[in-house]
Amino acid sequence: MKTRRDFVKAGFALGATFSLADLGGLFAADVPAAGGAPAAKAGRSVLVAVRDGDRVAMLDQALAALGGIETFVRKGQTVLIKPNIGWDVPPERGANTHPDLVGHLTRLCLGAGAKSVSIFDCTCDHWRSTYVNSGIEKAAQDAGAQVIPGNDASLYREVAIPGGVKLKRARVHALVLDSDVFINLPVLKHHSGALMTACMKNLMGVISKQDQQNYHREDLHQCIADFLTFRRPTLNVLDAYHPMVRNGPRGKTVEDLVEMRTLLAATDIVAIDAAAARLLGHPPAAVRHVKIAADLQLGTIDLDQVDIRRFKLA
Amino acid sequence: MPRNRLKLLRVTAALVFFAGLTAALVDFRALIPVATGHWFAGTQLVPSLVALATGASLSLAGIIIMVATLAAGRIYCSAICPLGILQDVVARLAAWLRRGKQRLLPFARPKTWLRQLLLWGTVGGVLAGWSGFTLSLVDPYSNFGRIVSGLFRPLATLANNAAAGAARVVGSGGGFYRVEPAWAGLGALGLPVIFLVLITVLVVLRGRLYCNTLCPVGTLLGLFARQAAFRLAIDQGACSKCAACLPVCKSQCIDLRAGNIDFSRCVACYNCIGACEQGGIGYRFAWRPPGRRPAASISPIPPAASMEAPDPQRRAFLAGTAVTLAAALGASRMPARKRAETEPDTTASAAICPPGAGGVDRFLDRCTACHLCVSACPTRVLKPAFLEYGFSGLMKPRLDYSAAFCTYDCRRCGEVCPDGAISLLDLADKQLAQIGEAHLDVEKCIVKTKGTDCAACSEHCPTKAVSTVPYGNNLRLPEYKRELCIGCGACEYACPVRPEKAIIVTGRRRHGRAQKLVEGKAAAPGPAGDFPF
Repeated sequence: MKTRRDFVKAGFALGATFSLADLGGLFAADVPAAGGAPAAKAGRSVLVAVRDGDRVAMLDQALAALGGIETFVRKGQTVLIKPNIGWDVPPERGANTHPDLVGHLTRLCLGAGAKSVSIFDCTCDHWRSTYVNSGIEKAAQDAGAQVIPGNDASLYREVAIPGGVKLKRARVHALVLDSDVFINLPVLKHHSGALMTACMKNLMGVISKQDQQNYHREDLHQCIADFLTFRRPTLNVLDAYHPMVRNGPRGKTVEDLVEMRTLLAATDIVAIDAAAARLLGHPPAAVRHVKIAADLQLGTIDLDQVDIRRFKLA
Repeated sequence: MPRNRLKLLRVTAALVFFAGLTAALVDFRALIPVATGHWFAGTQLVPSLVALATGASLSLAGIIIMVATLAAGRIYCSAICPLGILQDVVARLAAWLRRGKQRLLPFARPKTWLRQLLLWGTVGGVLAGWSGFTLSLVDPYSNFGRIVSGLFRPLATLANNAAAGAARVVGSGGGFYRVEPAWAGLGALGLPVIFLVLITVLVVLRGRLYCNTLCPVGTLLGLFARQAAFRLAIDQGACSKCAACLPVCKSQCIDLRAGNIDFSRCVACYNCIGACEQGGIGYRFAWRPPGRRPAASISPIPPAASMEAPDPQRRAFLAGTAVTLAAALGASRMPARKRAETEPDTTASAAICPPGAGGVDRFLDRCTACHLCVSACPTRVLKPAFLEYGFSGLMKPRLDYSAAFCTYDCRRCGEVCPDGAISLLDLADKQLAQIGEAHLDVEKCIVKTKGTDCAACSEHCPTKAVSTVPYGNNLRLPEYKRELCIGCGACEYACPVRPEKAIIVTGRRRHGRAQKLVEGKAAAPGPAGDFPF
């Protein structure tokens, strides 16, 4: 028997997936209004911030606060989870998204009826050893995800980015172009060039190697923001369990990490990165790509205007 | 073939060695254990002797092969040497193309002067301080390695990519993924290709002519084989001169008229044993104490048929021993290495040699350019040089940072190297081994020229020799600290500036040791225990 609550939930889920996944792909150049999460207070975007639990528990809490994974993943959909798999270092070094999160999120998506879950990143270090040593390949495969090579140039397709200021064209990984649901799952780190790497910077891993170099040549921050005019993730989940606060983005030792035991989740990529900047002690506007994205009206940088739902698990 | 168990043994061993080495040299997906390549390459005569002579390892394979040759002839050449086995494979293919029609190669007189010239030329080269260059040209295993790594490996990669494409069309990865074929430059690839053509032509026209006339390793082993305790010989009583043994002999070393086998040229393939209907060919004990003339009755070799010398066997044995000792002495003396040790640390090298090589001169002295490391290198940053090291470094591996860099946690090249040219360093030492140094030109840097953030160099730097400092209006400018730099090339690889990069790495003629950046625990950026928003 369907209760009223079920009906409302299903309605929100349908609405959310349509507005974010399908329409986002169809009208890529459009700049839709920020937010879209269920039960948002009149147009305000929702940010969930969880502290003091283990990663899996914090992810469960964050998703529950956003209406559950079913809000984002419908039966039969193809899902792309894009972790940060940049560097050939083990999980305790904090340079990559933690494999526990990748595995758990994969299981949740499949549990929600996803047809497939794919994982990839265009790594900075050698892709094979990075996939293996980050622990992500095994965690993802054990959970039932397809792990796709990130180095294979033939998997990228060139697209136009009409909304971009500096970035007009880019070769984008087919999984980003073809998946129904796109979940961004980065790790929070200091970055010696971009100041911070969180959700927006993580999307540099879905474009080809040459385009990554183009970003660096043509104005890194502007290009990072420009890409969002083409495609924004359905959902962003940020691993800030032990963020790297110096020597990023690769880091040297575990001494570069600070234990924060935090996880953020939001559909608004600007809001979540603004909060991420705060976690690292920066005013959000100091991270230029966050400021530019806000100026392009791709999301809310002013955290006072965001519906922040805080949870402390201990 | 119970009658020819020796051939069965030989073929079995040959398949094992050939498969092991080929697999290690082709392995573009790092599917087989790293130790496989190292072990198989370590069974090869020249790498083993180089490792022993330089004290790199207590590698006994070379000694064992020489003792085995003294016992029963050139077993190495047909059962262990991959270049010899490759020629057998080519010969089989050629025979198959000819639809099995065998080609009769009659007995040929030994070209003694050519064999001596090439052998003593090799010894002379080693003694003159050109050991690495000379051995890289003549070592059959290294020649085989270059053919497989430079030619067969990229071809196998292309086949893999075609399979990966097909697997994708049918809708599953099937465990396949695409791999960049990574062809060597035309210059560095040219020699292996020419060599492959040469041995193919020779083997089709003249059997194992390369092995028993041109190959100095074969000639060296031939000197021992002539003195062997057991030698293949024709039983004159059984021989009906039917000549069934002649078409199967690859070495043109059966002189039926004299009833004699030139065992210094025989590559111990044992084909003749099975071909003889009378069972007239087999091993005969022929050992005699050095210095005593053979009594005609017990020797299978009539005196007149030997190499026209008063005591050819003894002379051969002494020459073989002398060659080995001289080569070992030359390798261990390493004049170039001594020269390098007196040079200042900072001398730059146009080409960069791998961590564990110690320095360019030591490396070029010892490396025989077998390209096992080139095949094993996961990022393909190791590429065969053409003239980057100079002429003496032809085909030796070098690090090329245009499309890759040396992985910080990797020491695969040291793990596979069979002769100690690349020592296997402890990981902690490898991560401090300065193989080169970077040169940062901030005036070319994007941050200065365009006023936008970049720091791709510092991003990739594993030691933080390249970090960034605040610059201008909320920008970060790269800063370089030489003492922390190991020359891995990650910065040069990542730099987006064109046509000339803003940070480039040059090699160090002698490798150094970097300092390690040691920092305390990082400070928390915000309030502990609460959200900063």
